[in-house]
Amino acid sequence: MQAQPAVKKKVKSVSYSHWGYFFIAPFFIVFLIFQLYPIIFTFRTSLTDAMGWEKILNNNIIGFNNFKQLFDSNSLVFGKFWGSLGNTMIMWFFNFVPQLGFALILASWFTDSRLHLKGQGFFKTTIFMPNIITAATIGMLFMSLFAFPVAPINTFLQTSGIVNMPVNYFRSVEWSRGLISFIQWWMWTGNTMIIMIAGISGINPSLFEAALVDGCSSRQTFWKITLPLIKPILVYNLTTSLVGGLTMFDVPHMMTQGDPNETTNTVARFIYTQGFTGSHNFNMASAASIVLFGIIIIGSLIIRYVLNDHEPKPGKAARKEAIK
Amino acid sequence: MKKVLSLVLALALVLGVMSFASAEDAKIKLVVYSFTNELQGMIEKYYAPNHPEIEFDFQIYPTDGDAYTTKVDTLLGSDAASEEAPDIFTLEAAFVKHYVEMDWTGDLKDIGFTDDELAVAFPVMAQIGQNAAGVQKGLSWQSTPGVLMYRASLAEKYLGVTSPEEMQAKVADWDTFLETAEELKEKSEGACKMITGSGDIWNAYQYQRAAGWVVDGKLNIDDELLDFEELVKTMYQDDLTQKAGAWGETWFAGMQGVNETLCYFLPTWGLHYTLKPNCGQGTNDKMTEEELSTYNLENGNGTYGDWRITDGPVAYSWGGTWMGVNAAKVATADDAKKAAMHDLIKFFTLDDDFLTQYAADSGDFVGSAKAVETILANGGTPNPFLGGQDHYAIFAKAAALANGALMSQYDATINDLWSKNVTSPYEAGEVEDINEAIANFKTAVAAAINTITVE
Repeated sequence: MQAQPAVKKKVKSVSYSHWGYFFIAPFFIVFLIFQLYPIIFTFRTSLTDAMGWEKILNNNIIGFNNFKQLFDSNSLVFGKFWGSLGNTMIMWFFNFVPQLGFALILASWFTDSRLHLKGQGFFKTTIFMPNIITAATIGMLFMSLFAFPVAPINTFLQTSGIVNMPVNYFRSVEWSRGLISFIQWWMWTGNTMIIMIAGISGINPSLFEAALVDGCSSRQTFWKITLPLIKPILVYNLTTSLVGGLTMFDVPHMMTQGDPNETTNTVARFIYTQGFTGSHNFNMASAASIVLFGIIIIGSLIIRYVLNDHEPKPGKAARKEAIK
Repeated sequence: MKKVLSLVLALALVLGVMSFASAEDAKIKLVVYSFTNELQGMIEKYYAPNHPEIEFDFQIYPTDGDAYTTKVDTLLGSDAASEEAPDIFTLEAAFVKHYVEMDWTGDLKDIGFTDDELAVAFPVMAQIGQNAAGVQKGLSWQSTPGVLMYRASLAEKYLGVTSPEEMQAKVADWDTFLETAEELKEKSEGACKMITGSGDIWNAYQYQRAAGWVVDGKLNIDDELLDFEELVKTMYQDDLTQKAGAWGETWFAGMQGVNETLCYFLPTWGLHYTLKPNCGQGTNDKMTEEELSTYNLENGNGTYGDWRITDGPVAYSWGGTWMGVNAAKVATADDAKKAAMHDLIKFFTLDDDFLTQYAADSGDFVGSAKAVETILANGGTPNPFLGGQDHYAIFAKAAALANGALMSQYDATINDLWSKNVTSPYEAGEVEDINEAIANFKTAVAAAINTITVE
């Protein structure tokens, strides 16, 4: 040990570390005002009798009555809420399953070194393109394409002799739901594909080379190497898609307004109609938002549980043992 | 030295702003909220030049996605007396009742209106601007009576009708309306339809009711509405309509003469801003007004000159823009400001000279019965678009007859739920019977509006 100097010379050290806080401050300020506060406010509103704008700030806490109504099969909102959740799940399912399938196939083709596809940039861009357009615009576009009785699709089908009478697509449950699922699929396949490609590119190429040397077929490589190794990406994709799917709003709102007979009403539309039409039941809208929040958390946990490897994690004691 | 200099500069700036502000204080500041720039344009053209003492602050938010109502509601609901809260705000038919029923919209008598002044407004527009207790809270500068507009050439070809009076006999009530529709189908062999769809006659038919949607806090389904459902179902099932919605491609195509649709139910603004711009005029602009008024679909001007208007089965009103005041700002305003607010609203909604002038400039149908009388006495407004027919005379009749007491603050929501749960499924035959549809409707209303009783 070196001897300390008798008089400790004060070194004026210049620390820049506190500037870091200034740089991250904007995010936190925005987050606090526009995200955390509204979340807390929604929680609080769900426990009150806040109906109508007059009561949005001056209301009384009435406990869990709003939640009780959402879970009470005799209440008026019960059928509407759970019905809209059912619609959302159906439309999400028929969007997500084909989306995942197409994205996986396309991603494995684009990354396959044996195929070595030409013009990849063009195809990737084209497939991703629909994602750039806002969903509301696409909703409007499809609404006018499939309108009744005179609209491009109906006119085309009639002049080409495929159908005799114009079809009223938006009075048919299957067509309405199908079109919404199709739009969601069309818009989001490109996005999922890009993430999948990133996931596959992250796999060590020597694994694929080893598989090639050992004489694996493309199919075997996909099922035994690619798929297991992109599991974390799959979990991410499923979770974000679940969140996006269950909060689906813009396309059904612009295109069908919940028609026919509320079969394309989604949970987000239920929340919107409760809060922003009629008597402005902000309390019920908030309670429904929180129930939806809970459903999404449970769904995400299930996805994580199902897809993650269940090897027993070494406990703390075991890890300490290992370090010694 | 630098510090001193910057201090001096800052001080100068602050003082400058303060002196500027104190000079401005002499002016009366009015914050005006609106959903279009229409009122701003009118104030800047007709009012502001003669009133330099008033400083206007216009705030415009669109009605799309409820941006306007959300903005005004939050301002009035949280800090109604604040500087940026509106003094005067405009209200559209869709939400005027919502505001007049609220305490935060002020009584117009509080800013100096008297009963005599209010009496010259058309009753239907005045009624809509009143709350349930009869307090006048809104006044409209337009009156928006609705009539039946039809194509004279089609009426003559298929029905042998040659004048609006003859046509009126064919659509005097809803039963004859239906008979005429059947006759039209027969004579035209299905080529010409009476209307585009059920949405077309809804705006008129709802004025047939004896009472509105909410009576004594309870949901009221008027018997007339059941008749309406039978009418639209018959028309749908018998192919008497184009089976399309209003504001859609088919609807506009009928206006241009692309398909043959005889009747449109439209109010005053519908004539100038919907029918006329969409009639297909413009491909031949060398024609004189006189040539235009003799209609011929081949002349490249669409259906210009082929339209006539008549009363139709029922007098109704559709639309309007009311002006209201913020009660909290009225309470804190001094007399000069109250007088300024009173004068402004009076000028735009009741002033005879202004409204006569404005009607001449814009062709709009104004809200004061007295001004309309003056315009009619001066020879009315022969309209080449209507083959020389005077629209003011027909509109004036409807404006005097329509019943404004039927509107309620829940109309927008309930009308939407009625159309979704009853009209659309019932006319297309998707539900077993009307009772099933009405049961669905009742559940939907009860879930959407907690403040009314549904039995």
